[in-house]
Amino acid sequence: MNLRWTHLAMWLAFVCLMMAIPEFVSKGTLRTLIFANFLAIFAISWDVLSGRTGYISFGHPFLIGIGAYTSAILTKRFDVPIEYAIPAAVLMTMVGGIIVFLPALRIKGSYFALVTLAFMELMYQLVQVIRPDLTGGTRGMSGVQTLTRGAVNGYYMSVSLMLAIAFSMWLLMRTQLGTALSAVGMNEESVRGSGLSTTKLKLFAFLTSAFVAGLGGAFYVHYLGSIAPRALFDINFLFTIIVAALIGGASTIIGPMLGAFFLTFLLEFLRPYLPGAERYFIYGTIALLLYMYEPKGLIAIIDKYWQRTRGTFARKQEPGESL
Amino acid sequence: MTPALKISNLVKKFGGLVATNDLSLVIEDQQSVGLIGPNGAGKTTVFAQIMGEHRQTSGSIELYGHEISNDTTPERIRRGVSRTYQVPRPFTDMNVLENIRVGMMPNNIWKMITSPPRHSRETEIALSVGFAKADLTKTPGELSMGDLRKLEMARTIATGTKVMLLDEVFAGLTVAEIAQITTLIQSMRKDGMTFLIVSHDLKALEPLVDSVIAINYGRKIAEGSFSDVMNDSAVRSSYLGAA
Repeated sequence: MNLRWTHLAMWLAFVCLMMAIPEFVSKGTLRTLIFANFLAIFAISWDVLSGRTGYISFGHPFLIGIGAYTSAILTKRFDVPIEYAIPAAVLMTMVGGIIVFLPALRIKGSYFALVTLAFMELMYQLVQVIRPDLTGGTRGMSGVQTLTRGAVNGYYMSVSLMLAIAFSMWLLMRTQLGTALSAVGMNEESVRGSGLSTTKLKLFAFLTSAFVAGLGGAFYVHYLGSIAPRALFDINFLFTIIVAALIGGASTIIGPMLGAFFLTFLLEFLRPYLPGAERYFIYGTIALLLYMYEPKGLIAIIDKYWQRTRGTFARKQEPGESL
Repeated sequence: MTPALKISNLVKKFGGLVATNDLSLVIEDQQSVGLIGPNGAGKTTVFAQIMGEHRQTSGSIELYGHEISNDTTPERIRRGVSRTYQVPRPFTDMNVLENIRVGMMPNNIWKMITSPPRHSRETEIALSVGFAKADLTKTPGELSMGDLRKLEMARTIATGTKVMLLDEVFAGLTVAEIAQITTLIQSMRKDGMTFLIVSHDLKALEPLVDSVIAINYGRKIAEGSFSDVMNDSAVRSSYLGAA
């Protein structure tokens, strides 16, 4: 693992900053930050799978939905304590991850992306017609037990979860496993030709991604206290996750987190000027321009700036040294 | 003595096309053998079957006496056989050392997480195939075709291979690069590596092989020393286009 004290110091500073935020901002901003934290979790989950291995998932809400619905149904319909419902939801999501993994054994590229999109659509239809007495049908569920009360507590819960996930995924991806998963994204045949089982690697990526999505989905539903299929299996929600990961810098863990905060605040910043759907046009244009300017995302822009300010821009970047 | 690689009655059919037709060959340990034939003769298909990328229709493949026909590609590589490709397939966003690292990794998720990369061994392999220290942090996009061939060989060495299959290793190289790769192969032969080399560049192949096998339409048409095979009438008519 390529760890430097500067990395850990930056993480520590970031954690301190995030923990101090409730002292300085309004409750409205905190609620925006809570959404950004959850979006960061979902974007990291997407990044572990798609950013690394190149298997672009258009069906991530499928996994998030399994986590959210399982935990909501268990707690609301079966009175299962929340501390058991969330692990059960994560396990169910990992089973969902295996289901999404199966097509990846045979197909890739746009075909895989379309199959995953079909998974999301299928889930959307199924929760409405199969046992609506459990799922709440088209109206979803409300009155789901919440973990916290108030914006400050909600913020601490979401930021702790997000930081724990981000740091552990960041550590994991700095090991040889992270290199191997990136290699799968670059040339799967060469990974096999290097003596590594790509099936094993992909399965691990799918399960890890599902684990994070399930955890995020379950905590999200217990933060909101409700679940609405139209909002969860919405194409805009899906694209927000993907754009957050791409705009921040795919395959970096830190990038998707950064992208999630950037997008959330961009939308909030635009709200007073463009309260309607027009702001999505501006948001899309900014995302597109940013992506065209630097396809490796915000993290690459910051990295370049950092190198320049250190006066070492000309120096070749050492392997694995990026932020 | 157990041969390094033994192929017996290998047949590969793609629908009605017989790409490998009852091919048998034996390569002794530390021997270097050339595999030649005209375009479409089935040389690369033989490589693909040895590596398990294509499953043979019938026949058997043994590596140091162990039947590998039912093994997966990673299992075969871990047993000691590895190949390079006509068109190099590097990991484009990784530098030279990281490319080599992938070849050195254990095929075990837990070990990948817990064991650190062996930087000194990566560097040792990179330098042994002729990379300069300044090249080690270069990405494949910054390398010449000769360097890309070296990188492929380095990643193959990193897997711990004992039998190396080189597919058109001289294709697209300058004269100077051919000389570099030739020197590298000669040095690896001295160190005990076993080779099966496919090349259309017969002049470059000659000094590198102990014997040559010629195939056409997937069938062996000649086998022997380089000069014997070159003078074989079947080879001349099929491969060299002369009677």
